[in-house]
Amino acid sequence: MGSLTLRGISKSFGATEVLRDIDLEVHDGGFTVFVGPSGCGKSTLLRIVAGLEEPSAGDVLIEGERVNDRAPADREIAMVFQSYALYPHLTVRDNMALGLRQARTPKATIEARVAEAARMLSLEPLLGRRPAELSGGQRQRVAIGRAVVRTPKLFLFDEPLSNLDAALRVNTRVEIARLRRELRATMIYVTHDQTEAMTLADQIVVLNAGRIEQIGAPMELYRDPANIFVAGFIGSPRMNFLDGARLGLQAATLGIRPEHLRLDRVAGEFEGRVSHVEHLGGETNIFVQAGAHGLLTARRFDEESFALDERVWLTPDPARRLLFDAEGRRLR
Amino acid sequence: MRRRFRPHILVFLAPAVLIYTLVMILPLIGTLNLSLFNRVEGAESFVGLGNFRTLFGDPRWSASFWNALGNNTWFFLIHMLVQNPIGIALAALLSTPGRRFASAYRTAIFVPTILSFVIVGFAWKLILSPIWGIAPTMLASVGLKSLFAPWLGQEASALTTLALISVWQFVGIPMMLIYAALLSIPEELIEAAELDGITGFAQFRKIKLPLILPAVGIVSILTFVGNFNAFDLIYVTQGALAGPNFATDILGTFLYRTFFGFQLQLGDPHMGATIASVMFLIILGGVCLYLFGVQTRLRRYQF
Ligand SMILES: Nc1ncnc2c1ncn2[C@@H]1O[C@H](COP(=O)(O)OP(=O)(O)O)[C@@H](O)[C@H]1O
Ligand SMILES: [Mg+2]
Repeated sequence: MGSLTLRGISKSFGATEVLRDIDLEVHDGGFTVFVGPSGCGKSTLLRIVAGLEEPSAGDVLIEGERVNDRAPADREIAMVFQSYALYPHLTVRDNMALGLRQARTPKATIEARVAEAARMLSLEPLLGRRPAELSGGQRQRVAIGRAVVRTPKLFLFDEPLSNLDAALRVNTRVEIARLRRELRATMIYVTHDQTEAMTLADQIVVLNAGRIEQIGAPMELYRDPANIFVAGFIGSPRMNFLDGARLGLQAATLGIRPEHLRLDRVAGEFEGRVSHVEHLGGETNIFVQAGAHGLLTARRFDEESFALDERVWLTPDPARRLLFDAEGRRLR
Repeated sequence: MRRRFRPHILVFLAPAVLIYTLVMILPLIGTLNLSLFNRVEGAESFVGLGNFRTLFGDPRWSASFWNALGNNTWFFLIHMLVQNPIGIALAALLSTPGRRFASAYRTAIFVPTILSFVIVGFAWKLILSPIWGIAPTMLASVGLKSLFAPWLGQEASALTTLALISVWQFVGIPMMLIYAALLSIPEELIEAAELDGITGFAQFRKIKLPLILPAVGIVSILTFVGNFNAFDLIYVTQGALAGPNFATDILGTFLYRTFFGFQLQLGDPHMGATIASVMFLIILGGVCLYLFGVQTRLRRYQF
């Protein structure tokens, strides 16, 4: 399929710098997710890969070849947009076939590829319909189908699930993962949702304010974040951050995930009062107001229940705590 | 399930209905009514469809009428074949990103639309005048003097020339309407087409044009109504006689001469109202044809 290399990519719109010095390697067949808060430049980076936006500096290489000067259509990529961007005047079949027809692909090939994509995405009964006659999830599958028929070297997805409701989002996520195994394609996927990132990726690129904060496998980012930003962004509920000085530590900040913050009725490192409890079934999130340490979250995987305002003790698991310096960098 | 009747709706509707009735519906009924009467031996009397019989039956009336209708149709065709395609093309050019001075061009092309007919007609008369116009001089300066002819003065070319002047003046309107329609196409859709390799003219033909067809339909029907109501430009440049030899006479000028009279011709409100009624029916027919025949087949797209 295809590999992608980004070398020193920067992008400015007028005076605003949106991306700064991005270096990235995506391996053949890899599933890379760009994740980061809204407005951090994920879409812009993806659009630069697609050729819809020109980088202010740096090179885009697909399979080792510099493609900066190639038109989007000549980069052998396919993109799935957040808004689906289906052609509203064409049927599902024509939506998928239009690009191939434009490229003067033989008719039989077009038909075979459309049929194959329709089978893969269970679109067969919908082939004669127009986008207006489809539900959101169906439109999304058509948009993916339109990408699949092009047999691209690289699939680009820009927040493809953000317009779907929660249940459909899970289904489509599973479907994309299955599709990826079936096609053995290289995929780059943009999302601001860390669950999507964690579940789909073999490589996550965490972006913040136009810079790469960290690149790594999902569990690597979870276990071993390079800085406060990544530590706080990956994982839900969010990691607790405590003032290091107050705990008598050298480090500026101590980070501890809710699942590694032990909650006890009898004893612990510091005390607090239960201020809110969320029962999620298999797990329970307990929000504790811990005096000077602020509002902390603890997570338990049993069905123990705590009353509001109950006095409790908290202890960060010493093996799982993370320390950061004043600039937010990880101290190891 | 039937909704309960809500009286306050009437209150909200009343102002519009009232004003529209006063300035549009009553005069229309008055005109239709007037066309059914005539002055017989000094007294107003009801003649039924007699005036229409005169208009279509009397050789002189009907010759004038068919001449005006024919000219009007040609006037309309020129607008459809020249003005609207140019308007669409300009809109397509102006809406492509990265075109420099786009808004300056857009304004310049639209400005003639807001000029008075009197200015436009008079200016073009001056430009095209064989005696002191600048057209002959300009053609001469590039060695093409032989191409010049007194276009407005020749029967064969006067109507076409006037139609083209009108196109020059109004091309900004289809341009603006189509431009707005093109802007409403989401950017991601166009980007999807770019990725599919559908670029340039193919993109216009396969993606944009089908999506702006409803706007093209609106432009066509506006052109139709405008052209079959036209009057001012002909009146300003050629006078009410719509010369030479009625070669530029359209329904509007024909109606004007009949209703108000001109030179030796006496004004005849009844025959004038008859012509006005026929014009109304022609436009009504055209609009109905569009609404029921064309518009119902045009799809509107939600993006
Ligand atoms: N065409 C543009 N012109 C100016 N600024 C832009 C443009 N596109 C994006 N930006 C800015 O770049 C930043 C990153 O945008 P984007 O890549 O869309 O973020 P996201 O990570 O949410 O996808 C935002 O602050 C946005 O305002
Ligand atoms: Mg985005």
